[in-house]
Amino acid sequence: MDWFVISLINGAVYGLLLFLVAAGLTLVFGMMGILNFAHASFYMVGAYAAYALSSVIGFWGGLLIGPLIVALIGLIVERYLLRPVHKYGHASELLVTFGLAFVFQELIKAVFGQFLINYAIPDSLRFSAFTVFGTPYPFYRVFVALLAIVLFVALIALLRFTRMGIVVRAAVQRPEMVGALGHNVSAVFMLTFGIGAWMAGVAGAVGGALLTTSPNMALEMAILAFVVVIVGGLGSLTGAFFSCLIIGLLTTFAVSINVSLADIGRFIGLGDTLAALGTVATLKLSTYAGAMPVLVMLLVLLIRPSGLLGERK
Amino acid sequence: MSAVLEARNLVKNFGESCIIRGLSLSVHEGEKHAVIGPNGAGKSTLFNLLTGYLHPTSGEVFLREKKISGLPPHLVNRAGISRSFQITAIFPAMSVFENVRIAVMAKHGSRFGLFRLATRARKINEDAWHLVERVRLTKVAQKPAGDLTYSEQRALEIGMALGPGGDVLLLDEPTAGMSRDEAAYTVELIREVTSGKTLIVIEHDMSVVFSLADRISVLVYGEIVATDAPQAIRANQRVQEAYLGEDHGAA
Amino acid sequence: MLAKASRSSGKGYAIALTAIIALLALGPFYLSDAWLGVLGKAYIAALFALSFNLLSGQAGMLSFGHSAYLGVGAFAAIHVMKAVQAGLFWLPTPFIPLSGALAGVLAGGIAGIFACQRSSGVYFAMVTLAISELIHTIAPNIQELFGGETGISSYRAAFLAFNFGRESHVYTLILIWTVICAIVMWLFARTLFGRLAMALRENEGRLPALGFNVYWTKVVPFAISGMFAGIAGALLSIATESANYSLFSVDASTAVVLHTFIGGSSLFLGPAIGAIIMTVFGYAASDATRSWLLYQGLIFIALMLSAPRGIALLALDTIDDIADRGARALLRALLIVVAVLLIAMGIVMAFEIVTQILTTEYQLAHTQTGRWNSISVYRVKWDPLSPFTWLVAIGSVVVGVLALRRYGQRTGPAP
Repeated sequence: MDWFVISLINGAVYGLLLFLVAAGLTLVFGMMGILNFAHASFYMVGAYAAYALSSVIGFWGGLLIGPLIVALIGLIVERYLLRPVHKYGHASELLVTFGLAFVFQELIKAVFGQFLINYAIPDSLRFSAFTVFGTPYPFYRVFVALLAIVLFVALIALLRFTRMGIVVRAAVQRPEMVGALGHNVSAVFMLTFGIGAWMAGVAGAVGGALLTTSPNMALEMAILAFVVVIVGGLGSLTGAFFSCLIIGLLTTFAVSINVSLADIGRFIGLGDTLAALGTVATLKLSTYAGAMPVLVMLLVLLIRPSGLLGERK
Repeated sequence: MSAVLEARNLVKNFGESCIIRGLSLSVHEGEKHAVIGPNGAGKSTLFNLLTGYLHPTSGEVFLREKKISGLPPHLVNRAGISRSFQITAIFPAMSVFENVRIAVMAKHGSRFGLFRLATRARKINEDAWHLVERVRLTKVAQKPAGDLTYSEQRALEIGMALGPGGDVLLLDEPTAGMSRDEAAYTVELIREVTSGKTLIVIEHDMSVVFSLADRISVLVYGEIVATDAPQAIRANQRVQEAYLGEDHGAA
Repeated sequence: MLAKASRSSGKGYAIALTAIIALLALGPFYLSDAWLGVLGKAYIAALFALSFNLLSGQAGMLSFGHSAYLGVGAFAAIHVMKAVQAGLFWLPTPFIPLSGALAGVLAGGIAGIFACQRSSGVYFAMVTLAISELIHTIAPNIQELFGGETGISSYRAAFLAFNFGRESHVYTLILIWTVICAIVMWLFARTLFGRLAMALRENEGRLPALGFNVYWTKVVPFAISGMFAGIAGALLSIATESANYSLFSVDASTAVVLHTFIGGSSLFLGPAIGAIIMTVFGYAASDATRSWLLYQGLIFIALMLSAPRGIALLALDTIDDIADRGARALLRALLIVVAVLLIAMGIVMAFEIVTQILTTEYQLAHTQTGRWNSISVYRVKWDPLSPFTWLVAIGSVVVGVLALRRYGQRTGPAP
């Protein structure tokens, strides 16, 4: 029973971390129509920047400054890389961000090496928050979840209650009109992009210590983010939120299930037949856990192509 | 005369806004029917609903008594309805001839026939040439469609609408943005190519409407407020208030 | 699109192309085995890139996970080769790529069924990447199919007079298949379906109103593209006599995207040219630097920003320009090339020095001896502490940028 509850909480934490990344991606796409393939790279850079800084100014310093560096990088990317190719069409934007993701990965490899690095949770945060049926639950995970929730609420508040937020929401619907009304649409875009990058950077700074920090983390996160937006509907923040939780929970539960198809088959007397099929059937579900999100995505594409909450028209 | 295309109580909502509110329309076989109305009345939305590009929130569309609402656009097209677009939708990098050839391809049918070399597809090519001639674009047939003048492109747009060969044609503002002469030329072209077919045309230019239409429907705020012969529409008080009054004397 | 002047000299290009292919075909007579090996890989990359461009250049669909079909073809071929080896099956080595074709067309078709569900190109790009990563994640776990982490190996069986143990036999086989596939793809673009695929890229929304079910109009080219990618994969298995799940990695998918657009997507042979240049360069460069992949990525981005139609078209435009305007245009072209080279060399030099300093060996030597050792770039030793070093590096970038600004105004028409 404690396994179930812990997996539930873990899944929620993972989903919330995912949302920090997916929110920026969704926002930028909803507003600018650009799918930034390098968005997950901001997550990676956030982790590495925080790691590098933490050895000089401590974990909290890294958490504070790292994402700011990422935001700056985001602004530069938007201004000097994305804006010039905007006139060449959507395909060019996709291509440039795709190439950028690759370049980020290689840059990180060049500077930090191609293997994972030991970006660890600081000792000050290594205590248990509460116990679940006798098992201690680490505070750091709670911290990550709380941080994500706080940022999410702040984002919603920003969008809904500030003047800038209103301009942003209007720009999502009618960028030309907003420009005609005198607002600096380019500045709004740049700011939104920067905020999205910043959030991904924060996710990296906290997530990198929790999960692994390696040059491969951008690709893994990118796939997850894509699955999230496909399942939740691109352009919908609420859709992204729910599909993040679903993906987070599914993956977490799958990881801890040591059951294979053949095991299930044994239950109904088909164990040997299935085992004869070879590795596919004898592999534990936990090994497939990494593949779960994409499998879910494929399922959704077949059954409900427009995603859980539909698409922005 | 029988109704070839009929819309019954069409309603279309986009989120909270109701664009088409309970629209009913009945077009006879061989009729030339114009749809007019102020901007934002929902005319293009109506076309999208009639051709399957949008599905109605409620209500139905019938083509010769068979229900076509809810079908995807390519099946609606194969059932016999063809359309042109308000914003020219051609293939700019391909030649005029190629554009028309794509338009006539579907009705020549076979799946595997599509793997023939294009230059060898004699019937399709002949068909395409005839159509290019009918819309009087023979002189520019080899030019990339993106290089044509605006009215040539609109003529191509009409030609492509004819390609699939259906006998119900929906033209969306075919003379938009044209000068008097260009519009007159286009009207003559339309009359020629739609003889024997049913035509529904969205237009803003009243002279075009009055020279083409057997009947006119007036669309205001998602509803049809009047359907009648041109003279009756001209005299209709409500219509004058809603629409004609502003437009009187416009080019 | 081909520049206007080259349309009239289309015949000229055809002749030049045939001559080049003939020259390459005679390679075994004047090239070393090492070179034959590299070129063989380059042709495979070219075929792969052409298959990719069937989707992107013609139908406007960006498949960011194309390595899936290369990999599927490679494994199909290696299994067939093993079956032949074990006597279970008979398929002469030259026909083994057919197994890659079959596997590729099936994989492409199935992937296409998912990826083409939504009409937006953005979704297509995401889904194709996700599918390829899915295979990459699962593959190492399925021992029978993919040989786990180490992969599967076999060897080339002799056929008639060819024992395929010799590099020249493999080279010729690859070249023949690549040329045949290229011709078939070129012809495909000229079939009715090929024209339809192009219309799809030009204006997808128009097609349903013309009676086409756009979904199948996309899935079919996807399957065909998968077929040719599968052939490329099979050729790779033949060349290396092995197949490994790392073929499914995103690196292979990225490489083909870079090659295609560096070469140029709107010219039929653009992707092939890009692939061959980058592959050959890659072999040469990977001895000198460990950051070749990074440079490739930077080249790609730089081109997307400044000459989005790719190198091939840029070269053609320049040739036309020189034909029109003579010596002045030639001089200008040369100056631009020199400027670009200066910028590249400066950046590479600075980068190489920095990355060398960051390596653990250097750091170790530094802590041990307290010195900043000199670093070798371009076969010259540079002292990282000396201002001269940085003057050279940064200076050449600055000079190059200034020269580009002055002479590079017209870098070609917008795409």
